[in-house]
Amino acid sequence: MAVLKKEVMVDLAENTVSKALKNGASEAEAYVYEGQATNIGIELGQISKTNRIIDRGLGIRVVAEKAMGFAYTNVINDPTAIGDVISRALSAARASKPDPDWKGLPGNETYASPEKTFDERVAELESGELVKVAAAMLEAAGQVDKRVFPIEGGIGSAYISNAVANSSGISGFDKGTVIECSIATVAKEGISVTPVCFEFNASRSYEVDPVWVGKEAAKLALSALKTKSVETKSTTLILTQFALQDLLAYTLINAVRADSVQRNQSAFKGKIGEKVASDKLTVCDDGLFAGGLRTWAFDGEGVPHKKTAVIEKGILRSFLYDSYSAKKEGKESTGNAGRAGYLSTPSIDTTNFHILRGDKKADEMLSETDDGLMVYYLQGAHSSNPVSGEFSVVATPAWKIKKGEITHCSRGVMLAGNIFEVLKNISLVGSNERQMGQLISPWIQVENVRVIGK
Amino acid sequence: MKDLLTKINHIATQKFGAQYAEARAQKMVKTMLTLKEERVEAAKQGIESGVALRVLVNGTWGFASVGSLDHAILEDAVSDACKMAKMASSHLKQPIKLSDTKVVTDRVRSKPKKNPADISMEDKIKTAMTVNKTGLGYDKRIKSFTIDYLDLMGTSYFANSDGSSIEQDKLYVWARIAGSAHNEGIFTFSREEIGSTAGYEVFDEVSPENLGEKVAKRAIEQLGAKSLKGGTFPVVLGPNVVGVFVHEAFGHLAEADLALSGGVLADNLGKKIGSDLVTFYDDGTIVGSFGAFKYDDEGVQTQKTLLIKDGVVAGLMHNRETAQKFNAQPTGNARAEDFRVEPIIRMRCTYMEPRDHSFEELVENVKQGFYFKSFRGGQANLDGTFQVGIQEGYEIVNGEIGAPVRDASISGNTLETLNKVNGVGKDFLLDPGRCGKGQTAFISDGGPHISIKEIMVGGSA
Repeated sequence: MAVLKKEVMVDLAENTVSKALKNGASEAEAYVYEGQATNIGIELGQISKTNRIIDRGLGIRVVAEKAMGFAYTNVINDPTAIGDVISRALSAARASKPDPDWKGLPGNETYASPEKTFDERVAELESGELVKVAAAMLEAAGQVDKRVFPIEGGIGSAYISNAVANSSGISGFDKGTVIECSIATVAKEGISVTPVCFEFNASRSYEVDPVWVGKEAAKLALSALKTKSVETKSTTLILTQFALQDLLAYTLINAVRADSVQRNQSAFKGKIGEKVASDKLTVCDDGLFAGGLRTWAFDGEGVPHKKTAVIEKGILRSFLYDSYSAKKEGKESTGNAGRAGYLSTPSIDTTNFHILRGDKKADEMLSETDDGLMVYYLQGAHSSNPVSGEFSVVATPAWKIKKGEITHCSRGVMLAGNIFEVLKNISLVGSNERQMGQLISPWIQVENVRVIGK
Repeated sequence: MKDLLTKINHIATQKFGAQYAEARAQKMVKTMLTLKEERVEAAKQGIESGVALRVLVNGTWGFASVGSLDHAILEDAVSDACKMAKMASSHLKQPIKLSDTKVVTDRVRSKPKKNPADISMEDKIKTAMTVNKTGLGYDKRIKSFTIDYLDLMGTSYFANSDGSSIEQDKLYVWARIAGSAHNEGIFTFSREEIGSTAGYEVFDEVSPENLGEKVAKRAIEQLGAKSLKGGTFPVVLGPNVVGVFVHEAFGHLAEADLALSGGVLADNLGKKIGSDLVTFYDDGTIVGSFGAFKYDDEGVQTQKTLLIKDGVVAGLMHNRETAQKFNAQPTGNARAEDFRVEPIIRMRCTYMEPRDHSFEELVENVKQGFYFKSFRGGQANLDGTFQVGIQEGYEIVNGEIGAPVRDASISGNTLETLNKVNGVGKDFLLDPGRCGKGQTAFISDGGPHISIKEIMVGGSA
């Protein structure tokens, strides 16, 4: 696979910065991105599509008279196009309004080497090998039961690299790999169809277990086939990582972003040092977590990734900052400037949002639940109120737990509450840690959540 | 451009034995703004160009995307796509076939009254600033106000091995406005979107002042709203909620790829599944609407597609692949977000047909229930479970609109719920939106006010 060399990317970033300064910017930052992805897709029970996507581009931020302008292009091998993107960024800045709070781009930093983020085997994976992995996953799902139908999924491997340089001396390059296999299944019997049941493995190195993924997705669908209703009441929930990822992304994570706090959009404003959750809950944002899906040497503006304690034993310790929000409070950035490739300006985001594991094994959590629901997938979490933390969602599906055992599946169960109350009502934290997107978390048991059954 | 794309398709069919090949080149310019309160966080401009190549080899799809219009790079990419498809086809059980479509040669130009390219960045910032200033000035309890603005203009060049060749302009103007209010420990959040494929004149139809005020007013009103106690209730839904209900609860199930995946509609074609009052369309022909276009990304002309008529399932939304499987005609629903991704079946403008009730009549019949006026997010599942979040709702007591309620949602099973529609209004409204299905598509949806005999309502009180 032909990829852009480190020197080429760093030179492009640095040269773009100098050129922008020469053309009148008072400060400049260039971000160069390359992504190459190969995917083998499963559709309607068979491997029927393949794709390869090569995406490269450059995004440039310039400051003129304390006003910010940004432009990007995906034409990076043409000096005229680079010149054009610089003038577009400059004209955007000149059209913009000065920001009295602007205190400059972040300065020169040294970077730690992230661990287990690049695997030559993933970068060099042949598509023939990917087809074999997809076939193994599909076969494993199909063997579980003939009522299970794998609807979509596949396997993809990607190489990603980025370089960032700015006029305050930052210059960095990092590269990484990701491989992910996933499968979505439904089970059908007569006219009954289950909700979509999904499993996946994602890793920075060539460590995926397609047979496990296929089997688990099929087993989940099968167990959702026969359903009974549950009653409307407040009850105990075991939230798996799927449910937590969805729920926290639109609520808790919004509340710990420094910009939300500064703009009065966070229920956590003014609560540093206060108890905001059960003392069983400890959360850190760890941009250097070995092998983490969001582990990189630096963030979207070249500030080193680090580990930040967010909640310690229920006490709120810190918010997540990029350099703008940090400078506003005279603080240091926590390295949380996220970036959607070259297409966007940086904005505050989590790296690996890590809920520390407890000591309860999965089966112990179940056996210690007298009466409750086990929740895998949620529907509608994005309709939560990001400011108040109120949610009203559907579990698709949920499994009823009675006297420590799963008794049956139930569909269309609604869950409603407030995430900040939920955090206070955490009763058990599991030891079964797992990474899912930005979240690294075990299962969590919470008390007293409103359930609306049919 | 046509010659280049035709040559690449030719390489796929002649050199690599592809049964079908298509090439889609795009050149796009985007302008984006983010204003937070009275601060311009960033004024942004982007230039993108690239080519999507899709081939069918031995009944398997191969796809490649590159950010280049260079012949040698495209030749590499297309050979790569053909080889990968061939390799993957070794596991194929049912080869993919495509339905026949008309060969088209056309050139489609957009004709905005106000071309976003002619409006200066300064003016765009001024408009956005007016929205935020109006919102912030509405009430001192408004604490934050954000507007994200986007205009996207460009040209898409399409050529396939059947001989079609289409050059089509793209024009989208979109903005999302969000405001939050805070008072005595209560936090509220309110949002609106506007969108148009006509031009910048969208801001003449809805003034920036009106937008700011609408969002702010709701955030303030919600401060006094109470959480509701969940359960099953009769409801009246406003056009904004009906649109999302039609899109989420029914629309996704009527996408033929999802219907084939086990969705509940495949077995119900031609059958009556809903009340007589239920008629839905997915329509790509409403000029200026968000989600309107002339040709889809497989070169098929868009149309007004009847999905359900008087409660009877009338049709599905197809691409060429699913149309072949169902022995139907493609409906022009194959859309790709950009050249980085493959076209998949997407909705356009999905709505419910109005009938004859007045709003008052719909509310009158509800003894104890809710009026849900505006949504925040919605999602569907293949088994027919849907959820729609509500950002603005009111109690209905004895046929009269009462106090506001906060952060509710509705859920149910699509087939059951369509049978419980017992009143459909005579008004009609469309709202623009964005739909996520791996890719983002600009869509719109809407309908009249409706009443539903009973539906599950989620609330935390």
